[in-house]
Amino acid sequence: MNTENIDMAETLELWAPSANGSDLILESAEDGRLIATIDGRAIAVRLRECFPWSEPGRHVSLRDEDEKEVALVDDPAALSAESRQALEAALAESGFVIGVVRVVAIDEEVEIRQWTVETRDGRRCFQTHLDDWPRVLPMGGLLIRDVAGDLYRLADLSRLDKRSRELLWAFVD
Amino acid sequence: MNQDQEIISRYIGQPATLPSELRARIEREWGNETVQLYALADLDRGLHLGESWLALGPRHIALATRVADGVWDVQSMARSRIRKVDEAPGLSANRLSLLGGAALEPLVVVRYTQRQRGAFENIRFVLDEALQGRTVTSDNADRIYADAVARPVRDAQALVAGKESAVILRLLGYLARYRGQLVLGLSAAAVVTLASLVPPYLAGYLIDSVVRRAQEGALAPDAARAMAWMAVAAMGGVYVIRQLAAHVRLRLMSTLGEAVARDLRAELYEHIQRLSLSFFSRKKTGSLITRVTADTDRLWEFVAFGVVDVSLSLVMLLGLGAVLLTLDWRLGLVMTLPVPVFCWLIYRHGESLNERFIRAWRKWSRVTDVLSDTIPGIRVVKAFNQEEREIVRFGRYNDDVVDENNEIHRMWTTFWPLLMFAVHATTVMVWLFAVPRLLGDGAPLSAGVFVSFLLYTTMFVAPIEIIGQMARTVNRATSSAHRVFEVLDSEPEVRDIAQPVRLTPVQGRVSFENVVFGYDGVRQVLRGVTFDVQPGELIGLVGPSGGGKSTVVNLIARFYDATGGSVRVDGVDVRTLDTGHYRQQLGMVLQEPYLFHGTVLENIRYGMPKASLSAVISAASAANAHDFVCKLAQGYDTVVGERGHTLSGGERQRISIARAILHDPKILILDEATSSVDTETEREIQEALERLIAGRTVFAIAHRLSTLRRASRLFVIEEGRLAESGTHRELLALPDGIYKRLYEMQLQLQ
Repeated sequence: MNTENIDMAETLELWAPSANGSDLILESAEDGRLIATIDGRAIAVRLRECFPWSEPGRHVSLRDEDEKEVALVDDPAALSAESRQALEAALAESGFVIGVVRVVAIDEEVEIRQWTVETRDGRRCFQTHLDDWPRVLPMGGLLIRDVAGDLYRLADLSRLDKRSRELLWAFVD
Repeated sequence: MNQDQEIISRYIGQPATLPSELRARIEREWGNETVQLYALADLDRGLHLGESWLALGPRHIALATRVADGVWDVQSMARSRIRKVDEAPGLSANRLSLLGGAALEPLVVVRYTQRQRGAFENIRFVLDEALQGRTVTSDNADRIYADAVARPVRDAQALVAGKESAVILRLLGYLARYRGQLVLGLSAAAVVTLASLVPPYLAGYLIDSVVRRAQEGALAPDAARAMAWMAVAAMGGVYVIRQLAAHVRLRLMSTLGEAVARDLRAELYEHIQRLSLSFFSRKKTGSLITRVTADTDRLWEFVAFGVVDVSLSLVMLLGLGAVLLTLDWRLGLVMTLPVPVFCWLIYRHGESLNERFIRAWRKWSRVTDVLSDTIPGIRVVKAFNQEEREIVRFGRYNDDVVDENNEIHRMWTTFWPLLMFAVHATTVMVWLFAVPRLLGDGAPLSAGVFVSFLLYTTMFVAPIEIIGQMARTVNRATSSAHRVFEVLDSEPEVRDIAQPVRLTPVQGRVSFENVVFGYDGVRQVLRGVTFDVQPGELIGLVGPSGGGKSTVVNLIARFYDATGGSVRVDGVDVRTLDTGHYRQQLGMVLQEPYLFHGTVLENIRYGMPKASLSAVISAASAANAHDFVCKLAQGYDTVVGERGHTLSGGERQRISIARAILHDPKILILDEATSSVDTETEREIQEALERLIAGRTVFAIAHRLSTLRRASRLFVIEEGRLAESGTHRELLALPDGIYKRLYEMQLQLQ
């Protein structure tokens, strides 16, 4: 059974062009794009974290503008310091979700739930479907997806103020 | 302010339009060129929430960033400098880069959340088209921006929730046509209320004016007996009147509620049938079904009982308060002062329960998620031997729901006895104040007045309960009314003109003249398609997915109207046709044939309910369906079940072909009619289709190009354009042709 698993893992490795520091150079362009140089060829890439909540920052898929994977970075630590820095900057942008520091109000309206929250940059309102519930993340905290597709993260519920915790009470176990 | 702008202002909290002073400044900088599209970039370079506007004109583009209140940093440039548009989507941050120069350097870079993505995609589309040498114009930048930003909320809710009172008034408007019944019902309800007040009064009268006076010898026994029997008879009479009035009230109001619910259901269903397909693509089927069933049912309850109960409870409470204060103001105050507190406590209890209900609902949805995952997917569960794990998972969620529900039970079973205790405590207080007075200390109080008083106090409980729950009752009713009115307020996008043309019969000539179409008004799915098809031609529509093939047939069927150019049938613009009459002469066989719950016979006769049975057999024979139908135990009278689930895909398809043959359309649309069946079934269906298409104008969409060899002509639709047209042979002869490439790829796969 174990042998089979190892074989399967190796097979998967072959499918994904895993990259390491020796053949992949990453740089940040002026506009924030990430430029990957693979085998001497420079290409603008987009990032997709394979496990943004289970294991953020690792297993990062680099994809060209046609959404084809050009490299898979399993562990950024294997990259050079400059490449790692460029990757981390790009990850900060592609993995950005709106951080919520306080919940001001949660109101039910016809077919939608209206949330008013405080972010680090001020107040923001968003809406969820009545039957869409916040998701508990593997690393802790809550993730809420609004009707437009934006993600809102409440990192540590225990550090929220009392009123926020009261408002969220119905939405967490 | 249009509905989308209202949604933005009310729910989203961002500007509903490009600030007017900024727009004016941009247009001035562009030499009075108008802003055609704009979008709000709500993230800055450091991914902080900010405000920048990207505005697009016919020749210029401008990026305006707010640096202070009313102060904008505006940078404009010619659109001709842009050589590439690059969009990088992220989880919640997207980046749009406009690149130019020899080395494709960034000219403009903006970042924005998903909320703004629709508006930026519009800009991106127009720029991409321009780079391909195509010009897309837009007429109303404000409307397009508001539509893109408000759409997610509108699709989730579709109606800006208006004032509750306005919704209730509109709902009550449905009572107008039953005015007589309503007046009678309300009068009967008023009689019930008033009659309830009489017996306690009579009881007091009997004690003070008859019993006591008789006991004291102030009243002769015969006179006392006569007065007593009269009072008892009056009491009996009042009870009879009360119950008769209650009967009238219940009967009239419940049937009135039913009538209103029936009217709403009928109006709703009729309206739904007239709505365009775009509405159904936005709404979930289940949600629409709920509106026609559960929501109208809830409105019945509100109209039949809620309206009367709430208004009469208010009258009852006020009336009781007045009577008690009149009987004895001191005791009246003891009894009435706590009433507002009781109402408030019931309201608060409802609010607390509501939070619990949300929690229980969330946990309940986990249970239903497991069920809807594992029951349809039971083969996967078994194949991966996960039954135990699923049982444990279900058990855990099931226990969670029970815990939550038990907590709800604990709350209400604690609250109501406590509330009743408080009501009884008030009664005890009344006794405490009354007893010394009854015994001669303080202001005099007669036994009769006190008995009346006590009887009135028992009548407080029911109206207090109803008033306490009034907010919840009204909320539930307005939510349902909103959902119903939302559908009723949706306008069909495809509508007949005042005096539509009837083509009798349709000959089958179909022409597209420079047809342009976009589902959202900006992004064009068809970009100037022109063709002319003669009656009786079989046209194969081929091309990559998303190229516009289905849109072509949707426009022929007039499910949508072209946004530019015209679609003509027998030389007449379809927008001027009587749509119902036209569609009677149009047939469709879809990839997923849809059968209704009913017999095979009813399904075949769906478009021609009066067709003879022999005509049905002929149609079924032509569709290669007769043979398998006869193998069914009940033949054509076999019930096929919901969506025909008792039949195989090929059988369902052949019944749908029989339906189309019986319908005898002049124009026939085949949308991937054979793509989801095996080779043998496909052969049988192909045979049936060949009989069906004879003598009609046919548009057939197919991915398997081999099925279209008999087509008179093939239209290759790619990126919204008619890229190639001709016979199979002619298209194969085109060097580097799209059709040739597709055909050769399929040959290789075979």
